[in-house]
Amino acid sequence: MQHSEPFSFTIVITGAPYSSQAPQTALGFAKAALASGHRIDRIFLYGDGVHVASSLSSPPSDESHWPREWSQLLQAHNIPGIVCIASALRRGIVDEGEQKRYELSAHNIRPPFIIAGLGEWVESGLRSSRVIYFHGGSRA
Amino acid sequence: MSTLIIIDSAPYGDWSGREGLDMAFSLAAFDQSVTLLFIGAGVNWLRKGQSPEGISQKSVEKNLSAAPIFGVEALLADGRDCQTYGLTEDELIASVSQVELGPELLNQYKHTVFAG
Amino acid sequence: MASIRTLHILNKTPDHPRFNRCLASLGSEDALLLTEDGVLAAASDRFTGFAGPVYALRADLEARAVEVAGGTLSPVDFEGMVKLTTEAEQIISW
Repeated sequence: MQHSEPFSFTIVITGAPYSSQAPQTALGFAKAALASGHRIDRIFLYGDGVHVASSLSSPPSDESHWPREWSQLLQAHNIPGIVCIASALRRGIVDEGEQKRYELSAHNIRPPFIIAGLGEWVESGLRSSRVIYFHGGSRA
Repeated sequence: MSTLIIIDSAPYGDWSGREGLDMAFSLAAFDQSVTLLFIGAGVNWLRKGQSPEGISQKSVEKNLSAAPIFGVEALLADGRDCQTYGLTEDELIASVSQVELGPELLNQYKHTVFAG
Repeated sequence: MASIRTLHILNKTPDHPRFNRCLASLGSEDALLLTEDGVLAAASDRFTGFAGPVYALRADLEARAVEVAGGTLSPVDFEGMVKLTTEAEQIISW
């Protein structure tokens, strides 16, 4: 039997849930990549995409919960979820370490997402066979 | 082969261009070859003499002037868009090359990335 | 086994400035994949001039009730999208 070589993907999401379709399209892509036998090296949230990692998102119960669906997929397949620190802190997505450092009133990152620098993204370009970007839709 | 970061949003009114610049600086910091291309309203990043003190923002012109020092290989701008926004060569900040966005340009890069 | 030079993923409406930039950047060995609001191109008269393969995410077409005129583009599911990304040397998301 012939098998095509499995690919490794990094998925970058720059569009926010509930203001763009990006996290949803990226999720469909990620599930299909895994189902096709490929590997996902990491998810990288950048710009408005960092809102996918908010543990405080509370959409109405009859709407899809994109942050929860993403964290469930990452956990089920042991995929690292990286949130760009500069994008995250500007937009109020904070882990316990940053809460202490900036003496903030709370932290709100949804496990298993972790905060890290753009170096993780640079490494994606070197290591993954494909880096796929999911941007917001309407913004000029 | 290099990465091309494209900025197509105007400065100051939109943050995604700054996040594109962060990506470029980050690649350069890790010794990766990177070029910045400004298209559409993004060419307004390249206008000389910006003074954003009145709107309490940092000058993107100043940020950009550090690009060659940080190791960004080239600053490119779509020539037609420069014309659209009335940017003549002497109104552009130093070391910008005018190009035309199209398949010939994009084929020179391994990765082409918008920040958002 | 890359058979596509660059796969262009376009998720913007035909009114978005990036839409025309994307169309102007299509090379002769490239392919175009319409996703999200990008599938509205299939209902727009502004969508002409590219002879190469054009794909569109089926779920996005169906969600927006966009009918595909015979032969103009090929609907794909997410598995098809993944396959396209593995067949392309480079992928640009507009």
